[in-house]
Amino acid sequence: MNRFSVSRCGAFAALAPWLMCGLAVLADEPKPIDPAAEKKLLQRGTLLSPKAFRAAAKKVLPSLVTIEGFGGLAAGSGQTKGIHAPGEGPTTGLVISSDGYIVTSTFNFIRKPPIITVRLPSGERKVARMLGRDETRRICLLKVEGANGLVVPEMAPRDELAVGQWAVALGIGYGDSEAALTAGIISATSRIGTKAVQTDANLSPANYGGPLVDLDGRVIGICVPLSPAGQQEGAGSEWYDSGIGFAVPLTGIDKVIAAMKEGKTLQKAFLGVQSKPTGTPPSGASIVSVVPDSPAAKAGLVKDDKLLALGGTEIMDVTHLSSVIARYVAGDQVELTYQRGEEKKTITVELAVAPPPPPPMKPMPVPMPMPPKDPEKKPEDKPGENPAEKPAERPSEKPTEPKKDPQPTPPEKTPQAI
Amino acid sequence: MKLHPNNVIAAIGALLCLVAAPLWAEEDPLSPDGAFAEAIQNAQRRTVKIYGAGIGRSPAYASGILVSSTGDVLTGNGVYLGADNLRITLPDGTTHPATVVRRSQTLQVAHLKIEANTPDFFEIPVKPAAGKGDWILAVSNAFKVADRAEPLSVNIGVLSLRTQLDARRGVNDFPYEGDVYFYDAITSNPGAAGGAVVSTEGKLVGMIGRVIESKSTNTRLNYAVPADTLTKFMSGEETAPMVAETPSTGAKGELGIRLFNLGGRKSPAYIDRILPGSAAAKAGLKTDDMVVSIGGEIVRNSGDFNRLTDTLKAGVETTIEVKRKNDLLTIKLTPAEAK
Repeated sequence: MNRFSVSRCGAFAALAPWLMCGLAVLADEPKPIDPAAEKKLLQRGTLLSPKAFRAAAKKVLPSLVTIEGFGGLAAGSGQTKGIHAPGEGPTTGLVISSDGYIVTSTFNFIRKPPIITVRLPSGERKVARMLGRDETRRICLLKVEGANGLVVPEMAPRDELAVGQWAVALGIGYGDSEAALTAGIISATSRIGTKAVQTDANLSPANYGGPLVDLDGRVIGICVPLSPAGQQEGAGSEWYDSGIGFAVPLTGIDKVIAAMKEGKTLQKAFLGVQSKPTGTPPSGASIVSVVPDSPAAKAGLVKDDKLLALGGTEIMDVTHLSSVIARYVAGDQVELTYQRGEEKKTITVELAVAPPPPPPMKPMPVPMPMPPKDPEKKPEDKPGENPAEKPAERPSEKPTEPKKDPQPTPPEKTPQAI
Repeated sequence: MKLHPNNVIAAIGALLCLVAAPLWAEEDPLSPDGAFAEAIQNAQRRTVKIYGAGIGRSPAYASGILVSSTGDVLTGNGVYLGADNLRITLPDGTTHPATVVRRSQTLQVAHLKIEANTPDFFEIPVKPAAGKGDWILAVSNAFKVADRAEPLSVNIGVLSLRTQLDARRGVNDFPYEGDVYFYDAITSNPGAAGGAVVSTEGKLVGMIGRVIESKSTNTRLNYAVPADTLTKFMSGEETAPMVAETPSTGAKGELGIRLFNLGGRKSPAYIDRILPGSAAAKAGLKTDDMVVSIGGEIVRNSGDFNRLTDTLKAGVETTIEVKRKNDLLTIKLTPAEAK
């Protein structure tokens, strides 16, 4: 039928136990529910949900700011080939401190405007200073001076998020002082190296930098374009309004916020090993080669060492290793456990920035896509993976351009160094 | 069962239902087919398929809404209307030749007529049928999926925003004047234009607009022409300019600001020179100030500056916002008569 049948039904179904739970709380002992009455309850809940969307939006609106850039590259230009370039309109940011720290998405500055202003909820416009950025989360921090008493929104604890729960997104990128509201559900609570939550609420450049909130108006995360494979600035924005959207939670990343306050740029982490799986079922990743001068080389890792754990997480296989590395940023110090012969050792490595890719003249090793995490591809079933955590396979009703696979499957024998 | 914080709202909902249940027990308005079924069926009985001529990427088909019992249909403007054999297929599967009564460039809406009785039609409501966050159902023949008597396709979404579609800044070459509804159902698809957007009560919220892209966001817009705008179209009101320009009785105003002109129209509006004795000089504007807004409208670059200063009238006070170092100053000034 349409997107409703694929995904939103999930939310209605998810409401059912809550409604029942509500009844159970009222009665002293659980009573059997008449199926017809249950159906009606569900219908009423469904028809009432817009009230909940508006109530949630109302709570976070006082923390939304409008960001405007002056100068910089013209719309549609810049390093945005194949990616949806930002338009000419304003973008959204979220207040995170009463004295003027504002989180937004790096997407909003792809055109590199030298001057940035922020319009506060009071309507007052201020000049904003760009501080640091986290390129892996596509968020950045702005600061306006002389602001006080700004409203800081409540954050939703990450462990309370559940697949199927309602999520409401707000953004002011259409240029109106009022925010546009889109609604959907949480499709996955952990994506892109645990850094993002996935939602089927339509997200687009009108949202990037704005919040995704739960029905209590608490911030689930900042809406950003992300893509499991694409590292290019703005990658993921080609999925705008498709039902595959990402929001980066701000809880539990105090270190990242602190680094951004200091003006640091956080980049993708690199260990510097090429590895292959070992054992059946695979356990650990066996090193095929070590990139010279990489963190792995500096830590003394050599060929045939078997990586067993990183930062306390047991490594299942090669793909898992890359997704565990993706949880960190360059500069993070991580405990690494490996096995050489019979001996097990735990050392600390400092992850670094990946070296620039080799010049494109030679036949170059193409970046390895991570198949189980790429919603464009059929994910292979991994043992122990919760099927509910998979991206909703809802086809976009927008006619998509014939998909050119930008990353042809690399030859079997040339694993990408990670 | 673990009590999730979001349960609170559900619990309140359940509580309300429990308390109110006896009141509703007699006559329950809900359909046995689900919360949206009745609204959808209502809308499907009032929407039609339109076939005409296609040119290039413009589709040869569209959707339309019935607005009278005597074969009046509203749809989106488009090249398909130019066909000799323009045809409309009613919900009962019968096809009728159609003629174009009137089309509006400023609203991108067309009024078609067929010689047939159409007992089911949309009454265009006086009050908005849905507000921000409310469910909307979009009924259209996107991609020509429905054939003959097959009911049109339905998408669900919520109403996102009612805002002005600024043809100058918002959209490439799209001469639309007035408000639109944005929603999060995907309707920016060929053939969807002219379809119905209805509330959960089946009332007409608006008519699905054409496939256009926003300059603000560089994205395709899912939007509808609001019902009240359709009423204006039907009454012929829109033929007068909907946005009345300020009568140009006054002489053109001059601020006395000259910009740096380094990078063409796209460079920020930095002030290079203030003419002595000018309005800008009296108001205390300085070289190196960067103009951020004029009269509340954003000045993203020198092109915006020129466009906005061209509309200033002598003797009419305006507000200019400038960035000086890291401060934003708001300054009121009255342009003098341009020489």
